[in-house]
Amino acid sequence: MFPHQGRSLVFSLGSPAVMFPRMETAPPVITQNAAPALIEVEGLTKLYSDFPAVTDLSFAVRPGEVIGLVGPNGAGKTTTLRCLAGIIPATRGSVRICGRDLATQTIEAKRRLAFFSDEPRLFDYLTVEQHLIFTARIYGVANYREIARPLLEELEMADKTDKLPGELSRGMKQKLAIACGLLHSPEVIFFDEPLTGLDPIGIRRMKDSILKRSRAGAAILISSHLLHLLEEVCSHVLILKNGRKIVDGSLGEVRQKFSEQSGDTSFEEVFFRATGENKDAP
Amino acid sequence: MIAGALFYYQRHWWFNRLLTRLRRLRQPKYLFGAIVGGLYFYWYFFRTLGRGGRSAGIPLEYQDVAQSIASLLLLVAVLFAWILPQSRAALSFTEAEVAFLFPAPIGRKTLIHFKLLKSQTVIFFSAIFLTLIGRRWNGEDFLLRALGWWLIFATLNLHSLGSSFARTKLMDRGLSNWLRRILILCAVGLVVTGIVLWVRYTLPLPPAMEGNPDLAQLGRYANDVLHSGPIPWLLFPFRLVVAPSFAAGAGQFLLALGPALAVMGLLYWWVISSNVAFEEASVELSRKTAERVAAVRSGNWQAARKTKKPGRSPFQLRPTGLPAVALFWKNLTSAGRLVTTRAWLFLIWIVVFAGFALHSQTRQAGGVGAGLAFFALMLAGFSLFWGPQMLRNDLRQDLPATDVLKMFPMPGWQVVLGEVLAPAAILAAAQWLLLLAGLILFPDQFNGHSITLAQRTCYAMAAAIVLPCVDLIALLIPNAAVLFLPAWFQLGKDGPRGFETTGQQLILMFGQLLVLALSLLPAAAVFAIIFLLTSHLVPIALGVLLGGVPAAALLLVEAGFGIRLLGLIFERFDLSAEILIQG
Repeated sequence: MFPHQGRSLVFSLGSPAVMFPRMETAPPVITQNAAPALIEVEGLTKLYSDFPAVTDLSFAVRPGEVIGLVGPNGAGKTTTLRCLAGIIPATRGSVRICGRDLATQTIEAKRRLAFFSDEPRLFDYLTVEQHLIFTARIYGVANYREIARPLLEELEMADKTDKLPGELSRGMKQKLAIACGLLHSPEVIFFDEPLTGLDPIGIRRMKDSILKRSRAGAAILISSHLLHLLEEVCSHVLILKNGRKIVDGSLGEVRQKFSEQSGDTSFEEVFFRATGENKDAP
Repeated sequence: MIAGALFYYQRHWWFNRLLTRLRRLRQPKYLFGAIVGGLYFYWYFFRTLGRGGRSAGIPLEYQDVAQSIASLLLLVAVLFAWILPQSRAALSFTEAEVAFLFPAPIGRKTLIHFKLLKSQTVIFFSAIFLTLIGRRWNGEDFLLRALGWWLIFATLNLHSLGSSFARTKLMDRGLSNWLRRILILCAVGLVVTGIVLWVRYTLPLPPAMEGNPDLAQLGRYANDVLHSGPIPWLLFPFRLVVAPSFAAGAGQFLLALGPALAVMGLLYWWVISSNVAFEEASVELSRKTAERVAAVRSGNWQAARKTKKPGRSPFQLRPTGLPAVALFWKNLTSAGRLVTTRAWLFLIWIVVFAGFALHSQTRQAGGVGAGLAFFALMLAGFSLFWGPQMLRNDLRQDLPATDVLKMFPMPGWQVVLGEVLAPAAILAAAQWLLLLAGLILFPDQFNGHSITLAQRTCYAMAAAIVLPCVDLIALLIPNAAVLFLPAWFQLGKDGPRGFETTGQQLILMFGQLLVLALSLLPAAAVFAIIFLLTSHLVPIALGVLLGGVPAAALLLVEAGFGIRLLGLIFERFDLSAEILIQG
């Protein structure tokens, strides 16, 4: 049983005071994690016609790990995430979610994951409450009312249950998408540019939410260009360029690898060295 | 210099757009659509081109009356521009144009010129299209006809702009929309009353309309009304604008062109010299337009409407059970307020109440009730063809959200089932309502044959059982087309247009009819066998019902196979092979 099912899920999101307390801890502490990987990727390759968007990508994410997927534009980050979430099929290779093969045990694998795109993907003609009911039925969350009611209150959306997405601000839409995505207590979570369009409070809440999910045992993969976000919340990093993995490992390992003399090289510097990009270019 | 930049932008916008569409023709699915669409347009518009058009147009004796009527229509269009709108003056720009042009060192006159230049494209194609539709050209005067239409549209466009500026000025001076409308309608009422009185007391009575009215006499009377008294003065400026369209040849056209251009010039001066701020309203308009385009592109036509209210849940959705029901529920909710139990109960009540109220008239063929019965049954029959085209709250609506659907932990067949159930249910409910109306209102006697209520009930029940199964298959066909040819269903500004769209729609329509006919054949054979076997044992009506049940069962089996097959295709559907999502 996943450790944070039921009511406890509520307290991973919500009001600044309860669900998003001031971040007291640094990014997840890197320890030798012996638990079986929740995300296992082996030789993932995705071709668009003849163009290789992702080539022979392999990595694993264990419970509690937050891995940052970074790379220049066109590196294949979004394609990787879409392949891992089962939105698009991989051309070659295998993806296992919580031990279930995404290609052959698709439904069992999808039941355990959540994907949050940079733009909240909502149905314009369903209200906030209808979104939650709909999601509960899709994922078979029998006790969704117990989860949804306090969740809406803590997301400060209790008075907006009859609102359509068109009547909500971007931040509220994001909250609704998160509420829907977490309703079934996913063990594996994918974020594509999670901070897009959020205000400073929203950014803080999102970071805290990611960390809380990881502490509760979820395996999290974040694709972002915001290197400071990755430094704050990620335990590991995977750098892609032209669809190929340049390097992966814990933040310390990667930093160490690309530090010339000292070990205190900024992650931005590491990124430029790893990808061979010229940071001084206009 | 700035005008040159704007002209450059407009020229390249069109060139690049054309180039993109031409490049797309390298893909067979677009090329095939374009060929079929091109052939259709050729067949409809151009096949008579070498033979000099269809006809020379309006007979000479009616030319003058026609010109006056055209002037009158133009006057009405102009009046509407003063009565209907309620917003402030706003020039329609795209969001990108607002972002680039509004902060740029460009004067408002230049922006107006740019707007006028931009609108010429739509005006140009509208003029060509209407000239082709009219088919009134005689070889060489196609150009004159097209120019005539261009003059009318360009003048209306200038007037629309000028009147929007003038309305805004009036609003700024405290004249509300409603007060303006009341004042204009009062003025129109006064003028119309004066004209009616003048006609009544100065002209002879109109020719009798009973029996077969003499059209020539009627035409002469209309000519008298339109060419005497105050009306010619009232229509004078409008006649100047439409006159080139009615010119018999190049000479007459050139003579009429001068005054028409003079009217345009006056309107142009009016527009340019109106000192009204339009920028703020234009920014708001461009934002709303962009939102509507985005909503349509995401397949949500409902959100594209100006007013939107949350739809009532059609039924209580339990959190556990078949996930396909969630999609069914979602799509019923998206259908809006009409799809509620209350609305359908109200419709049934109306049909039953009105049906029995008219029952006395249905005992014999003829009468309002019988007419309505035939109309209802005809609609029920035609609904098999228009229903699946009109009700699109299935994969066609959710196509832009396919990435969301692909994430759901449910097998493909459940996605397809959940998607097609909502339009199938709505269509079946509409058909049952029409059948109920037909059952109640159908006459007891028809063509000398007695049709009892029991017989009618058998026929209606057979249809009520078979039609929903046919609906399901008819709806599966366009949903299959979505998965096979998703680009043909793409909406919004990136979707296919022009020849391609027409061709694709024609191909889909004929393909749908063919596949539907083929899929109905086995069920029709089963029906025929059962009907023939039972025809000597039971009455015909009962035979129809007995034949209908296994036919419906076979159709359901076919639909089941179809759903399974489409489910497998959905599971293998590769979004990345299409241009629906950003990679």
